[in-house]
Amino acid sequence: MFQFILKRLVQAVPLLIGVSIIGFAMMHLAPGGPLAVYTLNPTITAQDIARIKQVFGLDQPMYIQYFKWAYGMFTGNWGNTFFGGRPVLDVIMERVPATFILMGSGMSLAIIIGMLIGILGAVKRYSVFDYLATTGAMVALSFPTFWFGLMTIFLFSLKLGWLPSGGMFTLGGDEGILDLLMHLILPAVVLALVLVAQWSRYTRSSFLEVINQDYIRTARSKGLTGRRILLRHAFPNALAPLVTLAGIQLPWLFSGALVTETIFGWPGMGRLFVDALTMKEYPVLMGMIMITAIAVIIGNLLADVINAMIDPRLRLEK
Amino acid sequence: MISETRGIAKKGGGVFYGSGGSIRRKLLHLLMQFSATLAAEWKGGIMKKKDMTRREFIKATGMVAAGTAIAGAGVGLTAHPAWAKKKKNVIIGMTQEPVQFNPLLYVNSGTEEVPEACMFDALWDVNEKGHFIPNLAAHVPTLENGGITENGKVWKIELKKGVKWQDGAPFTAKDVEFTYKTIINPKIAIRSRSGFDMISDFRVLDDHHVEIHISKPFVPFAWAWQKMHIVPQHLLSKVKDINTAPYNTHPIGTGPYKLVKRVAGSHMIYKKNSAYHRGAPAIDTVIHKFVPDQTVLYTQFKTGEIDVLGLHGVPPERFEEARHLSGRNALVTPAPWVEFIYFNCGKPQFKEKIVRQALYLAVDKEKWIKDIFYGLPPKTLSYLHPSHWAYNHNLKDPGFNPKKAAEMLEGAGWKKGADGIRQKNGIKLKFSMSTTAGAKAREQAEAMIQADWKEIGVHMEIKNMPASVVWGEYTTKSQFDTLMVGWEPTVGMDPDYTARCHSKQIPVKDGVGSNYVQYQNPKLDKLLEEGVLISDMEKRKKVYYKIQEILLEDVPFAPIFAWTFMYGKKSNLKGYKINPYVTDITWNVQDWSWA
Amino acid sequence: MRKKSSADFGLDEDKVVESSAMLEGPSGVSPDALSHYYETQLRRIWRRFLQHRLAVAGGCVVIVLLLTAVLADIVSPHDPLALDTKLRFIPPLSNPQFILGTDEMGRDLLSRLLHGGRISLVVGMAAMFATIVTGLAIGVIAGFYGGRVDSILMRFTDTVLCFPQVFLLLVLAAFITPTVVSIALIIGFTSWMEVARIIRAQIQYVKEQEFVQAAFALGASGRRIMLRELLPNAISPVLVSATLNVANAVLMESYISFLGYGIQPPLASWGNMLTNAQSYFDLAPWLAIFPGVMITLTVMSFNFLGDGLRDALDPRVGM
Repeated sequence: MFQFILKRLVQAVPLLIGVSIIGFAMMHLAPGGPLAVYTLNPTITAQDIARIKQVFGLDQPMYIQYFKWAYGMFTGNWGNTFFGGRPVLDVIMERVPATFILMGSGMSLAIIIGMLIGILGAVKRYSVFDYLATTGAMVALSFPTFWFGLMTIFLFSLKLGWLPSGGMFTLGGDEGILDLLMHLILPAVVLALVLVAQWSRYTRSSFLEVINQDYIRTARSKGLTGRRILLRHAFPNALAPLVTLAGIQLPWLFSGALVTETIFGWPGMGRLFVDALTMKEYPVLMGMIMITAIAVIIGNLLADVINAMIDPRLRLEK
Repeated sequence: MISETRGIAKKGGGVFYGSGGSIRRKLLHLLMQFSATLAAEWKGGIMKKKDMTRREFIKATGMVAAGTAIAGAGVGLTAHPAWAKKKKNVIIGMTQEPVQFNPLLYVNSGTEEVPEACMFDALWDVNEKGHFIPNLAAHVPTLENGGITENGKVWKIELKKGVKWQDGAPFTAKDVEFTYKTIINPKIAIRSRSGFDMISDFRVLDDHHVEIHISKPFVPFAWAWQKMHIVPQHLLSKVKDINTAPYNTHPIGTGPYKLVKRVAGSHMIYKKNSAYHRGAPAIDTVIHKFVPDQTVLYTQFKTGEIDVLGLHGVPPERFEEARHLSGRNALVTPAPWVEFIYFNCGKPQFKEKIVRQALYLAVDKEKWIKDIFYGLPPKTLSYLHPSHWAYNHNLKDPGFNPKKAAEMLEGAGWKKGADGIRQKNGIKLKFSMSTTAGAKAREQAEAMIQADWKEIGVHMEIKNMPASVVWGEYTTKSQFDTLMVGWEPTVGMDPDYTARCHSKQIPVKDGVGSNYVQYQNPKLDKLLEEGVLISDMEKRKKVYYKIQEILLEDVPFAPIFAWTFMYGKKSNLKGYKINPYVTDITWNVQDWSWA
Repeated sequence: MRKKSSADFGLDEDKVVESSAMLEGPSGVSPDALSHYYETQLRRIWRRFLQHRLAVAGGCVVIVLLLTAVLADIVSPHDPLALDTKLRFIPPLSNPQFILGTDEMGRDLLSRLLHGGRISLVVGMAAMFATIVTGLAIGVIAGFYGGRVDSILMRFTDTVLCFPQVFLLLVLAAFITPTVVSIALIIGFTSWMEVARIIRAQIQYVKEQEFVQAAFALGASGRRIMLRELLPNAISPVLVSATLNVANAVLMESYISFLGYGIQPPLASWGNMLTNAQSYFDLAPWLAIFPGVMITLTVMSFNFLGDGLRDALDPRVGM
């Protein structure tokens, strides 16, 4: 097991390097740059811009810039933002709590509700509930989340006035937990929508596969009650693809949901990405790409490890 | 095999939960059973396997989260948002947020001016009448009071006594000197050195007197200092690299407010500086709130969540509504920018003056202002706002005359080809117009102009790009065909426009300036050079009148209107004054108070 | 030039020897019976498909959408770009000239929806083609050759998978001038990973089949085997992927157009029609509702269709 983890971690290194090279290349080859914003300011002349370019280090050839950045990453120095010179790690870390709260609640909601629906649907296949659930999941997957978000704001905030239309707290207020929850409901539900659909589908198909196995039939013929069969026999065996799904969704905790955060004005990582992209804050963008890549690798690794722990058959494969 | 399994599954449903009964009952039954089992397993610890515990843990956490969410919603629905009864704070709402707070390193002028105004002071400010008022300087130097010498080359500035930084240290001339040194330091990403590069010598005479020598007389020099706020020498001189100093996020100034809290992406909170040298401000706390969407921001202004609406203000289609909101004042605020269509005179289509004049003639400016901006901004025929002291009111508006425009083009030899596009000597009147993608009002205007120009046989293609692209080298290296852009004069509100239209200020040729249209007119050059030497306002006016005439005649850039925003504030906020000479709504934040 | 042996393709030597004895078709049947067999296969698939009412409904909606997209010019009552600011914000059903109302520039919403649909569908389809071609190429090559080639290709796939799709799209969108084709291409080039994986798994499975080994024994070249034996058997997962991919592509286009990086106004696409809609919520909510409904409807129909196809074609359910 330990060897397995070690091997995967070693394999991850060239992956990360590849990600960083691709990301860096994309960013620097794209037209435009952080200096564009100075043009709009009339007091800045072309000489000023050239000078600022030098200060940012953007006048050097790309591979030098890359190596400088990569060296910084190794030594724990993720660089400083162009505008304001703040350490990139600080800038990213201050957004992490907000994203965690939003994604965490959205995902927890989705997992619970999704699994419940999925299990029910699998157990009662071809029933009305199953039919509705499957169709509902499909419909939910088809909504553009940003549009769904807009509609909920329209209904619950503008028309009914029940919930605030954005932000994380009411300013000038007490910033207490109830306030946070009020602001959290809409974006979390919007996020959970798509996730619920995915979870219910995966759970349902996974359970269906398991339920149709011989050993379930054996268990039933032995006279075990439905509930017991479900929990002791079906559930553990149906877990594998679900753990994989969780592993795939783990990076979402970090990358945030760009569009949802933009609509609800939620101060999280997704918003940071969009803002950094607009301003062409290369250091921040690279930092976020690396964090996401690491999260993807860890997520997949965790899922594989847990699956291997659950299912001995998987341990034999490399 | 399959049919068997199917049958068993169906039967399985029956075996599990008994046949008959309503779906709802079965659902509830299952739910209860499931949760009961879960609770039992959790408590009894029957499941020892790691995976079950993990799953249960996740489920338990999730259920707790869900439960809290539902409970919170329930309670929250009955509670009211917290609005303080007696206002001790003022909440300013903008769509963009400042990312760093060192006044010398600015980027995002509109929004970063709030921290600037709250935390820092400059030597002098300019008030709503256009007069300089002293701030950190004891008096504003002029020729009359001897502050500026006869030859205009030496400025003597006396500093106010008894001013303290927010950390208690005294403010001295050393701070002014340090600010100047920082500005001209090539290693620091200062936003601009405009005006400061003319300083040939900077002398500190004592703690409260400085003497500045400039290489040649430059009347707009006062504006340079108005824009630059003073930073503390005792804190920053020890810092290795000002670009990345932690000071930039936890600044100390001499201003009326001190930054106490910042939630990135959401808001910033300032508390008053009771020891402020112009008197402690009346309002305890200033909260600067960021909401990315303009309409959402406006809605929060309507509901009262925000007290002051700034930066882009009220969206145009709500102007009428905003004027009639009870308990609110709609503040029509002129901005120094003028909206232009920039013609790249280096490109073959725009080399001839008559083409540019015809294109200008074929743009329905009135409709643009009326339909897209609901009539708010005033039309302008020069690069200055019509209320500016140097605006030439004798300029003749060519108006909107597409027929005449077509005739002009026809007469100049631009004949319509088979595709309906005019051409001459193989050059077609086919080109692109670019501006910031996503700028709604501009996109609407472009659509209108595209249709108007189509009528006279000109094919304009809309090619918008994100801001970081279109205002980069695409503009600065004159790669564009035409631009739709808003710009202000280059040195504060001084009418000097050298950088934008002097023939030696073309970046792609000379490496300096901002004459992106590549306009070259020696007669204009002479007038521009004259204008900065004259200090008498009336004499200057004459020169600038001539300059504006020439620019309107040649139309290297077509002026449309002078930007005007509609900001808003609550009616019981006193002390707020609209100042057309700055872009900063918080320029006198220390004077604000609640009625 | 040495002829390729089965070892080059990672196949088992024993199995090849065994299979070379089978020189006639799969079950030693005559060609006529064979084609009849395939025919009833198709019939069976078709009947299974028809059983899924939702999939059929989805399919019908897709056909209608495609038709209106093709005939958009004829069916639209107005020019989608024709603006008249005097006619702005007309609500739907209040003016017989503008059935669905007008937007902030006085343009007819119905015409814009139809033309926007054409754009969104074209982008979706084109992106799907790019995805399928790329995914097929990579999946077939990786699955077929195995070994180092497979390893490198899969590693590359993993690398690209480390970027969330929206991230990639936004960054790539900065490279290009956003036209219909370029947007379709970048969406296509960021969605192929799943397809490649599915194809690769399918190819690996089919590769072990007897008729493929027979082809090896007969001395067929790698390329011939890939094209004649493997590809046709990969069709069903490709079909399913393709339909689901159109759905995803339409959704992605709406995302990036909404954020302002996609199709540029005044050209209409359902996504960019929603960009401005947030501002006009209380003035003209229909501007936000209709494009969103269309996106949801389209994506849903393609999803149902794909699901139905998958169930109809899935050998486990059928055989």
